[in-house]
Amino acid sequence: MKKVVKYLLLLLVVGLVGYQSVYFRKLSEYRKATGEKFDAPAFSKKIWDEQLPGKSDSAIALTDLIHALEASPENAFAKHSHVLGIGNYRYSLVKAEATVAMINEDEIILQIAHADSLMIVRLATEFIYGNAIRDASGLVDIKDFTNTTDLNAISEELNRIVRTAVLPSFKKEVKQGDKIEITAAAEFNKEHLYFNNLELIPVSLRIIK
Amino acid sequence: MIALASYKKNISRFQSVIALFILCIVLGVLSDKFFTAANGLNVLRQVAVNVCIATGMTLIVLTGGIDLSVGSVLALCGAITAGLLKNGLSFPSADLFVGFTILGAVLAAVIIGALLGSFSGIVVTSFRVPPFVATLAMLTIARGLTMLYTGGHPISNLGEDFAYIGTGSLLGVPVPVWIAAVVVLIAVFITRKTKLGRYIYAIGGNETAARLSGIRINKVKLTVYAIGAALAALGGVIVTSRLDSAQPNAGISYELDAIAAVVIGGTSLNGGKGSVWGTVIGAVIIGVLNNGLVLLNVSPFWQQVVKGAVILLAVIVDKAGDKKE
Repeated sequence: MKKVVKYLLLLLVVGLVGYQSVYFRKLSEYRKATGEKFDAPAFSKKIWDEQLPGKSDSAIALTDLIHALEASPENAFAKHSHVLGIGNYRYSLVKAEATVAMINEDEIILQIAHADSLMIVRLATEFIYGNAIRDASGLVDIKDFTNTTDLNAISEELNRIVRTAVLPSFKKEVKQGDKIEITAAAEFNKEHLYFNNLELIPVSLRIIK
Repeated sequence: MIALASYKKNISRFQSVIALFILCIVLGVLSDKFFTAANGLNVLRQVAVNVCIATGMTLIVLTGGIDLSVGSVLALCGAITAGLLKNGLSFPSADLFVGFTILGAVLAAVIIGALLGSFSGIVVTSFRVPPFVATLAMLTIARGLTMLYTGGHPISNLGEDFAYIGTGSLLGVPVPVWIAAVVVLIAVFITRKTKLGRYIYAIGGNETAARLSGIRINKVKLTVYAIGAALAALGGVIVTSRLDSAQPNAGISYELDAIAAVVIGGTSLNGGKGSVWGTVIGAVIIGVLNNGLVLLNVSPFWQQVVKGAVILLAVIVDKAGDKKE
């Protein structure tokens, strides 16, 4: 009798735990409710065509950002940068007028007037990788995504657009000494801030003369 | 003379506690940030996962075995928890979707961990494969299964409720510390108050004698490997929750930290001698050492050297103690 009670109690506990552990749905209904597979190219194209131009127009001037960072890094990062995950890296969308100082195989060295001197920055023209553009845009919210693969796919797609739609014509036309107008993504390490020789990932490029 | 012998015995018994005490004093003198409540809680939170794993490892080592697969089991079970929470299970042929609550996903991970440990136990007991080799194989198998399950990608964004397990606090104490405390108390109860505990010590002390006295060696060994892997799975749940992400390469070299905690805590690698409390002290020593070296800005490369030297010292002291006995 004792054994029967023991097994009945055990069964009851297992049943209760099981009931609290799993739930069942029709797969077709579940798929309908959770949506189709994420379409990274379409999502990224929408960002690029419809949302990023507005963000680019309102991007902060690189020199202003540097002034702000020099004055109060915490405030400047809070106001002008974005971050998706955790860590020290912050991303900002910046604009600048610059002079082409040197054209290398994989980057262009630019001079930007800053205070009373010339600041040197590197514009990447070959290796467009990483999450700088996606994160600097501030247009992607990590909470909208269920996995990092989809998030990374957005970066890949935005980088691909820059490599195929922005850089080829610019690289063909640009010459040393040209004045150019750029909008780019900049990456800063909160713990190791430096501004000279900063690398920028281009978003839009225009040769002024 | 007897008093001196008793004094020496007590010193030997509490050598890890004394070492921890001295370590804390030294670090407290060298860094003003060491003796702060925030830093103490931080150390405890970081140590909690190792305490869970090392507690299971203690039971295994007490039988004279070892489990090198706990890091990989941790990664696999962490990934399974995340996968089940995020995607559930789909059965297209039956048009059925099985969703998992947090409780369900955690239980599933712990059960799968226990099954993996049982498998290692069977290999060790039934096929007479040395534990080192059997669990080394499981290390590779579990890591490969993790990669297959995740496709090599992290599974992220598991929700705030799940994150509470790894990042939340209860009565001012981090939840992982509560979990580790419960695990330790259960393990202490098992080793001190149950037949299984006595069998574990008996097998580690003298396996032949234990067999001849009627202890079912294989069953006990299989049980401790299952418990060890289940606790590694629990560690996986905590790590996944803390990071809000299951990383396919999580838990690499965690087995070494667990073994180090066991050895520093005074458990003999030959089995039969040691305690769960000792392991807890060992894990705290490693945690405090890690924390102190970071606070003192010691290079990560030197940190590894120091940790290795401490483990070596602990083994030498342990061997010296064995010789005297």
